[in-house]
Amino acid sequence: MLSSHGRKLAALTVIGTAIVLPLMVFVLGPNMPPGKDTQVAKGQVFDNTVLLVVMTPFTVFILVYLIYALWAFRAPKGETELIDGPPIRGHGPSQIAWLATTTISVLFLAVFGSTELLANNGAGGGGGPNPVAKPSGAVLPIQVIGQQWEFTYRYPTYGGVETAQLVIPEGQEIAFHVTSLDVIHSFWAYELGVKADANPGVDNVAYVKADHPQTFQVRCAELCGLWHGYMFDTGLVVTPAAFASWIAARKSQFAPVSKYLPPYSTTYAPDPQHRG
Amino acid sequence: MSDYATPTSAVGGDFEEPPQVMARNLRVASQLWASATAFFFFAFVFAYFYLRSLNSQNLWHPHGVSAPTGSGTAIMLLVVVSAAAGYMAARKLAAGDAASFRIGGLVALALGLAAIVVQIVQWSSLGFGPTDGGYASVFVGWTGLYALFLFGTLYWLETLVATSFRSPKNTDSAAAAAFAFYWVVLALVGVATWVVLYLL
Amino acid sequence: MNMRRLLGFNLLTAVVLGIVGFYVGWWLGHQINGPSVAYFASTGQNDIALFVAYIVGVIGFLAGLGFLNYPVSRMLGKPPSLREKESEGIGRYLGLCTDHKVVGIQYLLGIGAFIFIGGLNAMLIRLELMRPTHLVWNGNNYLTLVSVHGTMMMGMMTSGILGPFANYFVPIMIGARRMAFPRIEALTFWLLMAAGTILMTTFAFGGFPTGWTGYAPLSEQANMGMDAYVAFFALVGLSMTLLGLNMMATIITMRAPGMTWGRLPLFVWGTFSTAVLMVLAAPVLISVLLMLALDRTAQTGFFNVQAGGSPYLYENLFWIFGHPEVYILALPGMGILLEILPVFARKPVWGYRLAVTGMLGISLMSWLVWQHHLFVSGINADLRPFYMLSTELISLPTGFIFIAALGTLWRGRIRLTVPMLFSLAWIFNFLIGGMSGVFLSDTPSDVTTHGSFFSMAHFHYTIMGGLIFAFFGGIYYWLPKMTGFNLNERLGKIHFWVMFVAFNSTFGPLLVIGFLGMPRRVVTYAGYLQGANDWVSVSAFVLGASMLVFLYNLVWTQVFARVPAEMNPWGSKSIEFSLPSPPAVHNFDRIPTFGPDPYPYGDDGAGIGQRPVIAPARPTR
Repeated sequence: MLSSHGRKLAALTVIGTAIVLPLMVFVLGPNMPPGKDTQVAKGQVFDNTVLLVVMTPFTVFILVYLIYALWAFRAPKGETELIDGPPIRGHGPSQIAWLATTTISVLFLAVFGSTELLANNGAGGGGGPNPVAKPSGAVLPIQVIGQQWEFTYRYPTYGGVETAQLVIPEGQEIAFHVTSLDVIHSFWAYELGVKADANPGVDNVAYVKADHPQTFQVRCAELCGLWHGYMFDTGLVVTPAAFASWIAARKSQFAPVSKYLPPYSTTYAPDPQHRG
Repeated sequence: MSDYATPTSAVGGDFEEPPQVMARNLRVASQLWASATAFFFFAFVFAYFYLRSLNSQNLWHPHGVSAPTGSGTAIMLLVVVSAAAGYMAARKLAAGDAASFRIGGLVALALGLAAIVVQIVQWSSLGFGPTDGGYASVFVGWTGLYALFLFGTLYWLETLVATSFRSPKNTDSAAAAAFAFYWVVLALVGVATWVVLYLL
Repeated sequence: MNMRRLLGFNLLTAVVLGIVGFYVGWWLGHQINGPSVAYFASTGQNDIALFVAYIVGVIGFLAGLGFLNYPVSRMLGKPPSLREKESEGIGRYLGLCTDHKVVGIQYLLGIGAFIFIGGLNAMLIRLELMRPTHLVWNGNNYLTLVSVHGTMMMGMMTSGILGPFANYFVPIMIGARRMAFPRIEALTFWLLMAAGTILMTTFAFGGFPTGWTGYAPLSEQANMGMDAYVAFFALVGLSMTLLGLNMMATIITMRAPGMTWGRLPLFVWGTFSTAVLMVLAAPVLISVLLMLALDRTAQTGFFNVQAGGSPYLYENLFWIFGHPEVYILALPGMGILLEILPVFARKPVWGYRLAVTGMLGISLMSWLVWQHHLFVSGINADLRPFYMLSTELISLPTGFIFIAALGTLWRGRIRLTVPMLFSLAWIFNFLIGGMSGVFLSDTPSDVTTHGSFFSMAHFHYTIMGGLIFAFFGGIYYWLPKMTGFNLNERLGKIHFWVMFVAFNSTFGPLLVIGFLGMPRRVVTYAGYLQGANDWVSVSAFVLGASMLVFLYNLVWTQVFARVPAEMNPWGSKSIEFSLPSPPAVHNFDRIPTFGPDPYPYGDDGAGIGQRPVIAPARPTR
């Protein structure tokens, strides 16, 4: 059925895929970002691995094809006369096969992605004020307030105390309520697998549960003006006991200023839009 | 040498296409420009409903902001009647009646200019300003740009009428038909503007 | 005579009147009185004056070029005319000229100059990123460089292929002697030149910090330099609308006898599908920028939360334009790819209908995907599965283009000329660009990749690896036809290999750097990424140097060596290669008729230029 070229190409594609696929699953896949420190991060690593697996056969096929074509179908060196190739204007079965393969893969990706999203693997991404997928059980809300050019964090269940450092307890489901006081920022906690835009006047919620004590990077991921490049800090995951004592200490430390803060709210009226 | 051309250069003159090519060009361009206009104002329709549904800080439509429905209706009616006049004039020209085209064109021109004048009067006695919330913003932007489109299209009409006056025997109706199509579409945009800004 | 030329309508008068107009507008703007003025007095900045200055400056510039003569004469009832200033001589390149071939070359040079500036900005950005902390630029200068680089490239490359190549070759390929609206065609070019100049003035007003997306409210808070962005992009939008309108009208109405829709060369189809997007998407851009301008001048509240607006409105409207925009950038490259591959594989296009379906499908579906730019923004989070689906579905029509390109190579007799090398590189680069896009389309994965260097590298793979490679493929393929002088093949191959290797060595590692957590548009980054960033910077400098090889090739062969080009150096069966190099002003002595296949390689069926005629060199003038 296949021509000689076709057979060789198919064989090369199969061999190439057989070599590359295990590399993708066992070598590259486990090292995909953002790491394995939280459930949502693990979910992303899993997603990334699946995506790698789906795209591998296509990539291998196209690359093998290109190399094969350049090797097998090149005009001989020194051929000055122009000789045309055969006038093949299409090949129905190949076209249908390609269409079917890509369609199935794409639909699989969409269904898979949606399932993963609803199954909380995308819960680290900002899901608006009222995300569809919520974790079950008790959730600790923490408000992330973006402003030019720093993030501050409010703990509404601890009297609305506002700190400059993000500390979260391990093994506890956290709801980050991300909002902004001026322009659009984006709260990106890389190791946690969390990214949510901070919009003025919007409460953007993302969920995460950290597995073990560690530090993590927080960066602003949406261009927010002059010192955007300097808008980063380091967060901490600590044991619940350590968290309890830390938050108690912050409450008493900041008590003199906390009373001047506006009462806790999911959004705040942003500052006047002054010229920077 | 080449089958189709010699390297001598000849400019214009002998190589013009038959007039029906220009007629088709104008018709297609008029339709495309109408589509572009529709998408241009689509952005304002989107803004209207988006901001209305969000109603940030309850400032979509604060007290004291009331749409001047009377003058808005007047603008809409003037534009619609002007479009009707323009359409009829173009029909007359297609039938070979250049004199009626000139009269109809002048009427459409006058009505269109009247619409712009009413619009300017409306702005000067608006009762609210661009800073008064979401509706006020959409209102100012939308009516302002719509008036700009009216003005530009009236320029087009003016060239047609002026050409007809200068060379009365010119019965090339393609340009008039293309204009009439666009003018009607713009009037429909005006009706949509009226419905969204004044009725809803 | 010379005095007459100086005082006539040309580039000199245009520049003079443009500058005069700018200052007249500046003065006028300061005379405007209104509720906003108190606000501007308190900031020491007057955006109204600057906008008026830009508007009057552009009008002066166009008047100086002679664009207002015709409208005024039409107002006085003079009869319509189509052509203007199509005389011979170098002077026609420096002003209003309605010959589509002159406009094509004007585009090539004018856009090329601005793209060169955009490229220099990229070099300066990479210079700063040699160190994880401050090296050369302060925060404001760095952001301005980033923003001008992005804006200039996005604005200019929208017409990067349609401007030079479609203006030049679409009328020829469909057997016409001109574009449908030659005057509008000239206007689109000069509008772009005015726009590019305006964008450069941002440096005089403090630059702007928003990147090419101009997200409000940052763009409302920004200083006067922001107005240059607004004016630039609005003018580009106007130019795009008119260019697309003209292209569509030309392709719809001006086709020669026998040139049915099923016989159009695929470059024309690529142009057509791009033009559809330009006509419909660019007006939305103009709209949203005018809202931004109103917010910045009249203090309306479209994007201001405390005034009843919302930044979400800007993000939505911008990407309703912005996603068709990226296909405006991608589709012409696909057209050039499928135009060049048959010539050097010596075969008809494999799956012509599939390719056309692919292009039109992309054109249609690009309207349905815009919120994938906003997966983590909190906008309509419940709709994310839909946008994930539509985004992934758009890889189907893109796959059609790939399979058509690959099938064309099948059992061909491939000749690795410079245009062919660039086309094959397109396939490789766009493959990586497309596959990296899968990570961005999947919502859970996008949580990490969104807004990182990964997405930046992704779109450089598709736009630079796709569009710019196709652009250079087009230059090496068509420039001898356009100017009548050959390019140097050896230098072309050096240019290709340096550019290809350096390009992948620049943006390949950037994909990894993004995965490792480096956000876009930052002036500082984590210390452990310095090694990778230094590698990227050095690669970027080599990439920049490859452009110098090209410039040397261009200047040397076109200005000094001037080896006359043959009529058909590639043995192409496309119609433009049966015309002399360059074609005469009227293109054709007699209008050609067209056969059933635009790529009749390998058989003796009906078609244009059956015999690959290698014509004798055209005598120089």
